[in-house]
Amino acid sequence: QGTIHPFRKTHRSFFGKLSQEFRLVTSDRQSWRILVFSMLNVFCTGCLLMWCSSTNSMALTAYTYLTIFDLFSRVFSVIFVCLIAHVCVCVFSTRFKRLEVLAVFASTVLVQLGALFILKESVERFVEQPEVHTGRLLVGTFVALFFNLLTLLSVKNKPFVYVSEAASTSWLQEHVADLSRSLCGIIPGLSSVLLPRMNPFVLINVAGALSLSITYMLIEINNYNAVDTASAVAIGLMIFGTMYPMSVYSGKVLLQTTPSHVIGQLDKLLREVSTLEGVLEVRNEHFWTVGFGSLAGSVHVRIRRDANEQMVLAHVTNRLFTLVSTLTVQIFKDDWIRPSLMAEALPASTLRPSDYGGLSSFVPPPPKPSEDINRLTSTPFKPSSPPPEFSFNTPGRHVHPVVLPNTQPQRPYGMGLSYGASPYTSMLNQDLARPGMGIGIGMNLGMGAGMPSLQ
Amino acid sequence: MDDKYSSNVLSSGQLGMVEVPNARLTRYIVLLLVSKVLKALGIFESYDLLKVVHIVQFIFILKLGCAVILVFFQKPFSSGKAISKRQWIKLLKHSVISCIISLLGFFGLTLCGPLRTLLLFEHSDVVVIALLSVLFTSSGGGPSKTRGAALFIIAVICLLLFDNDDLMAKMAEHPEGHHDSALTHALYTAIAFLGVADHKGGVVLLVVSLCLKIGFHTASRKLSVEIGGAKRLYALDNLVSCIVLLPWVIVLSATTESKVESWSALILPFGMIIFSVMILEFYVESICIAKMEAPRCARYGSIFLFLSGLLLANFWTHPLTEQLRTMSKTPQQESTETEHVLSGGVLVSAIFFIMADSILSSPSKKGQKGTLVGYSPEGTPLYNFMGDALQHTSQSLPRFIKDSLKQILEEYDSRQIFYFLCLNLAFTFVELFYGVWTNSLGLISDGFHMLFDCSALVLGLFAALMTRWKATRIYSYGYGRVEILSGFINGLFLMVIAFFVFVESVTRLVDPPNINTDMLTPVSVGGLLVNLVGICAFSHAHSHGAAKSNCSSHDHGHSHGHGHSEHGHSHGGHGHGGNGHGQSSHGHSHGSSHGHSHGGGMNANMRGVFLHVLADTLGSVGVIISTILIRQFGWLIADPICSLFISTLIFLSVIPLLTDAAEVLLLRTPPEHEKDLNIALEKIEKVEGVLSYRDPHFWRHSASVIAGTIHLQLMSDVVEQRIIQQVTAILKDAGVNNLSVQVEKEAYFQHMSGLTTGFHDVLAMTQQMESMNYLKDGTCIM
Repeated sequence: QGTIHPFRKTHRSFFGKLSQEFRLVTSDRQSWRILVFSMLNVFCTGCLLMWCSSTNSMALTAYTYLTIFDLFSRVFSVIFVCLIAHVCVCVFSTRFKRLEVLAVFASTVLVQLGALFILKESVERFVEQPEVHTGRLLVGTFVALFFNLLTLLSVKNKPFVYVSEAASTSWLQEHVADLSRSLCGIIPGLSSVLLPRMNPFVLINVAGALSLSITYMLIEINNYNAVDTASAVAIGLMIFGTMYPMSVYSGKVLLQTTPSHVIGQLDKLLREVSTLEGVLEVRNEHFWTVGFGSLAGSVHVRIRRDANEQMVLAHVTNRLFTLVSTLTVQIFKDDWIRPSLMAEALPASTLRPSDYGGLSSFVPPPPKPSEDINRLTSTPFKPSSPPPEFSFNTPGRHVHPVVLPNTQPQRPYGMGLSYGASPYTSMLNQDLARPGMGIGIGMNLGMGAGMPSLQ
Repeated sequence: MDDKYSSNVLSSGQLGMVEVPNARLTRYIVLLLVSKVLKALGIFESYDLLKVVHIVQFIFILKLGCAVILVFFQKPFSSGKAISKRQWIKLLKHSVISCIISLLGFFGLTLCGPLRTLLLFEHSDVVVIALLSVLFTSSGGGPSKTRGAALFIIAVICLLLFDNDDLMAKMAEHPEGHHDSALTHALYTAIAFLGVADHKGGVVLLVVSLCLKIGFHTASRKLSVEIGGAKRLYALDNLVSCIVLLPWVIVLSATTESKVESWSALILPFGMIIFSVMILEFYVESICIAKMEAPRCARYGSIFLFLSGLLLANFWTHPLTEQLRTMSKTPQQESTETEHVLSGGVLVSAIFFIMADSILSSPSKKGQKGTLVGYSPEGTPLYNFMGDALQHTSQSLPRFIKDSLKQILEEYDSRQIFYFLCLNLAFTFVELFYGVWTNSLGLISDGFHMLFDCSALVLGLFAALMTRWKATRIYSYGYGRVEILSGFINGLFLMVIAFFVFVESVTRLVDPPNINTDMLTPVSVGGLLVNLVGICAFSHAHSHGAAKSNCSSHDHGHSHGHGHSEHGHSHGGHGHGGNGHGQSSHGHSHGSSHGHSHGGGMNANMRGVFLHVLADTLGSVGVIISTILIRQFGWLIADPICSLFISTLIFLSVIPLLTDAAEVLLLRTPPEHEKDLNIALEKIEKVEGVLSYRDPHFWRHSASVIAGTIHLQLMSDVVEQRIIQQVTAILKDAGVNNLSVQVEKEAYFQHMSGLTTGFHDVLAMTQQMESMNYLKDGTCIM
């Protein structure tokens, strides 16, 4: 069926499965290491939580959450190794990647919620500041820092590495980059160390440890207990800053959005598609990322009545295949019931070699006098200006209510008149599209296609 | 190196301003240094003078002396064009405001001491304008400016919080009525009303008057052009403000007796202050701004000023005060022995102020952000700056609020959430204000708990709003999925809450604290009432959603158990939990949570919100019951055990919501449609002309949209459109309402193998062709 049942497996004999998975994990060297590190992490987290309650320090608690976050990511990666080891072989290799995204999203959101909790507690502490014992504060800080860095640098957690590289920079990274750039202006030798993009996790760990040390110093020297709360707030804000871009990135993947960095490429490909022979317009284009990096999509292509469906399908697939790996193209023809159907007029055996030119050269449209006048006069860059005859007097209009409601149920404008590639037009002012003139749509569409490249 | 890594366009390098090398400006820098040191000296002296001279008299003398000298030098009447009547009126207004600002500034000086006044009040316009633009506009000018603003704010907070000024305690016990005039008295009472110490009040006062000063300077620029130059304006302004202050001074000296015994002894210090603070600084500043650029002048000036202030604060022994004391020998002056000393907080904040000033006054290196449009024939990149200009055409705030309110009230779900949010917030603020008023910590912390819970409501409201946004290029299916994501986040939220209650109760298990139950009952009754309203509102929506999935009864029971458990959280901080109640609800919620996991809720967002509300409700019930239990029987240990219990309950009952939302997010085939879909797929196989299908993916996109894609293989002699129509109809019956069907014939694979030139692909295609041939025999892959 190609679907996942990730939560079903718990119903079956739980312990047997657990032991089997445990054996699987221990057999692999990499996962063995992950297991050891997560054990260490659990131990460290327990110790830190104890010290947190004994020192009564909010800042240390905030820092401990980072350790817990590390633990999450470790545990998730162990689960992944298990899954890859035996579940994935069979059914859902593509959909499995989505679980990674969900895991990244869940763990980043959890840490942010923890930070929110810290902020709330800190506000309460500003009202009444309890005393902080510094005995274990510095020890706890360095233990946590050491373990965090150790696990971060020794175990590569693939999804997290990917997200931290793909997501936009956090404010912490920006500030450090800015500082180090000005530092490199003074000492150019450091440029190879400081100028590349910093790992956000390392950065937040070091920054948190730094603020904890400052807290320790100030409390020891001057007994400023409020510094503890202030640095807890600072660490909480840093956690927010670091995790927010990552959760936005993975959340956008979960929301089935088109990744904004491929929109330019996609537009180019769609323009190419719409200039193929026989293609009238491209609409209902949906593209989304399944896992990190793999794009899927579905698109509806309306073609001329006498065009060869399979030929167009092959060309469209061929164009889009370079970018979109999992693609579904629905070919769409108006009033196909009419007997003047010419689809089979061109048999498959009479393939001209010029059709298989290459990716870049598009098929020159042969002079079809009656219908193509509009298309020939329009510039090739306007993706699809539907011939006005279609919009007004479609002879086979009775067909539309059957097909269209299924494909686009919540389009705002009328069923029979839904011609414009709606994602474009709905992005712009809809009232422009309302009058229903073919030319108006064409203009609108041209603008819609042109806008993203300008912005 | 700089340009290679920055994305900006007009980078500092070749395009920016050309900085004059420092060597040519040494003269002016030295001049600036001297003037700043003298100014710091003057401020320190005027602090001492202000102890004996009344503040209004002091300002009057300063302005008078300044005016005399300036009129002599500038000759504002004999030179330049004549001043019209309207300009005189403007000048009058100008000088009144300048009098008020200098009054505020010097009053702050008396409160805070000279060093703090220097640090807070003497920032140049460039710095403050950069700071304000970072704080209140989006285009602050890059991360470095943000850093500068953060440093500035931290420095002010350092002065407010970490500055253990010894004088503070002394100042606090000043007797009322000691103040010389109505003005100072009013200011003192205003500060006392704020409830802060005088010194802190002075800090606030100085920050406010700094902002006023900057605004005043900016506003007076036009007038200075009208009058004919800043110097002429300055001279005239001093003169007019003297005249403005004259009646007040006369009244003052007539009514109150002066503390000053011999004015002659004060002539020298006054002359020194007038020269250094009013005149020399003004001229040097104007020269330096003309010769150097303003930012650099501001940077050097503030560094010199703050450093000399620090030095003076360390070594200034108040010679004048000594002299005065020996002269006057009044017992009143005894309290001045401890001055505003140099403390660690002041030192740190001075360092921060110097750093902030140097960052904020440095010219903005970030150019405008442009978008790359293309390349010129020579190969240099071309940029478009339109984006920035377009961003600024934002709508006004009231209109935005009105629009969004209208949007919220349009639909049932968001309206419910909004009303309940308003009710909740009102209750919270009443609680907070009452807590602050009666100084009850329990109430305040409970108020914060409520605010924390409100964030879940805000999230739900926002998601309900976003759901209705139109589809865009990026969100090609529309925003319906946001709802599910928000439900997922809300589930995670509840899990975090469960975790914290768990940790807290473990620590309390070791050492059960004593609980004060006095205030709790009215608060929890209030909370209960509010949440009951919420339940009434949401249960309708909820059962509505549940009825669709045919498990309303399960749902209900489930949520009951949930809410109960949640309660422990919201008052876990105080350490109450419904003891017997929690136990009784245990089985209840457990059974129902199982029931729930089978019926996929339609609207995850509303479900999450409903869980929160129910949680709070039963929380209040629990508090009431636990209060009664503790009062009657005194079972303190029952409380942590109960909260342990409760946290596990929360955890268990959130799992169904989480799994449901996760399944949707993972693009799983919706379980309630699974059977229908299987039947539909079987039907599709039997459609005439269909050989087989592959890659059938069906998933729930949002509450109303079930999307799907399927690839069909057809025989070569059927009409594709008819098959598409049939398949679409079949799947529509099965619930899929956003479908893409790809129909492939043998010709397609031939075309594909022709189009793809790579050997590997051809091989794959031929294999697929073979399978197609194989299929023709009537066998099926899947």
